[in-house]
Amino acid sequence: MQSSTLTGHKFKKGDMLVVDVDVHAHESPAALAPYCEMPWRKSLEHISTVPARYLDVPGFAPTIVPWPSFPQSGGDRRNTVTSAAQMRQDLDDLGVDIGVLFPDHLLSHAALKQADYAVALARAYNRWLVEEWLTQDNGLKGAIIAPHHNPEAAAAEIKRYAAHPHVVAVYLPTCCVDPLYGHHRYDPVFAAAQEAGLPVMLHSVTVVYPVFPFNLQGFETQFATHLLAHPFSLIANLVSMMETGVPERFPELKIAFTEGGISWVPWIMLRMDKEYAERRREVAILRDRPSRYVRRMFFATQPIEEPEHLGDMATLLTLFGGEDSVVFASDWPHHDFDHPSKVLQIPLSDEVRRKIMGQNAMRLLGKASLTEPAR
Amino acid sequence: MTQAYVVAHVDDLPEGRHIVVEVRGREIGLFNVRGRYYALPNACFHQNGPLCRGAISGTIVANAETGWKRTWVSEGEIIVCPWHALEFNVTTGQCLAYPTRRLPTWEVKVEGTQLMVIL
Repeated sequence: MQSSTLTGHKFKKGDMLVVDVDVHAHESPAALAPYCEMPWRKSLEHISTVPARYLDVPGFAPTIVPWPSFPQSGGDRRNTVTSAAQMRQDLDDLGVDIGVLFPDHLLSHAALKQADYAVALARAYNRWLVEEWLTQDNGLKGAIIAPHHNPEAAAAEIKRYAAHPHVVAVYLPTCCVDPLYGHHRYDPVFAAAQEAGLPVMLHSVTVVYPVFPFNLQGFETQFATHLLAHPFSLIANLVSMMETGVPERFPELKIAFTEGGISWVPWIMLRMDKEYAERRREVAILRDRPSRYVRRMFFATQPIEEPEHLGDMATLLTLFGGEDSVVFASDWPHHDFDHPSKVLQIPLSDEVRRKIMGQNAMRLLGKASLTEPAR
Repeated sequence: MTQAYVVAHVDDLPEGRHIVVEVRGREIGLFNVRGRYYALPNACFHQNGPLCRGAISGTIVANAETGWKRTWVSEGEIIVCPWHALEFNVTTGQCLAYPTRRLPTWEVKVEGTQLMVIL
């Protein structure tokens, strides 16, 4: 097993429960092929012969990379996790009790064309996840993919796994999703998630080109595209869900936003409230200011902002009720993962720390079956 | 009060290589850059990543001297953190992304075939 470079860099967590709402399982086409229905199994077997790159496989994880690339990281840093045992070991090294698994390549699932293929891939991933990663009560939990290409099929997947003790969330691929998640075609997905008591978790990735946020082609570096693509696609989908009243029409639905950091939240909340004052008739389905709905949503920390004065992050949390809605995420083992100690460096009370590092996530994921692992 | 600690044999550290040793409970990266030895802490100030387990590299600059063209420089002098790719110049401890941040460095002495770090 290749070293994770995590060993020896633990933090003192004492009895603090640490829940990490975003870690990544590596689903190669070869791994999913046995779980995939025909004829798409043939396609995965064929794609398995293509050399894989990091989050970039033609026909599986379609990535447009028109930028030059330089060697950056090195040493023995591994950026994939290929088994449940390896993930459990890594999470132990990170000091994480409960980790919620998301895919690697299928972060760009919404960019796939051909709905039947995309639905088959989502089903194969969900089967593989449940059968290979979620077999023990060891703190590994999973988010099943809801294929946006076919909302009825997505709702059926949610119903299929609703009672599984280790499925704790529905992953909504947010990169390249078109139309945005406020569209009424997704109502069956939200209805199924609400009924199942499972949160929907929007997770983006940089391949948001050529749909929202469009004009990414205007930039010439990944510095620009990576920093804008993640939060902008989350913002676009949040606003879209607000304009059709998703949080009003599905009042019990828990909605979470992953991998955009958190500093955008007060900004878009205040912008929406400002606009709402003038244009309330357009969004009359909302019974109160958008900020009142935003305060019921959840926001994952990673990539946590790192201002010069970390006290600024404590102030930021107060701007949107983040003490009760921010949930820790590491994004392990990806290139921009956050170690828990970075979030713990923010000067917060012990009570708020415990909420952000674990208790808020237990409310977000909160199924009756979700208990702290006895380890 | 400084003290010299024997940390390696010169054969452990040929030119262009770097290793991590432990001295008084502290992990230290030892580097051989073109025949000169350097020592840095194996801890990145950013998120406490194991900096010296990263790869040695050069880096890119683009400034008035290079006519604002991206230019590859400092080959063999840059250590890149394996966690988030922050770059440091091994010979000075200087962080390239944060002009005001510099890691401590320690003197490395050669005595016969022994390498010693002065802490």
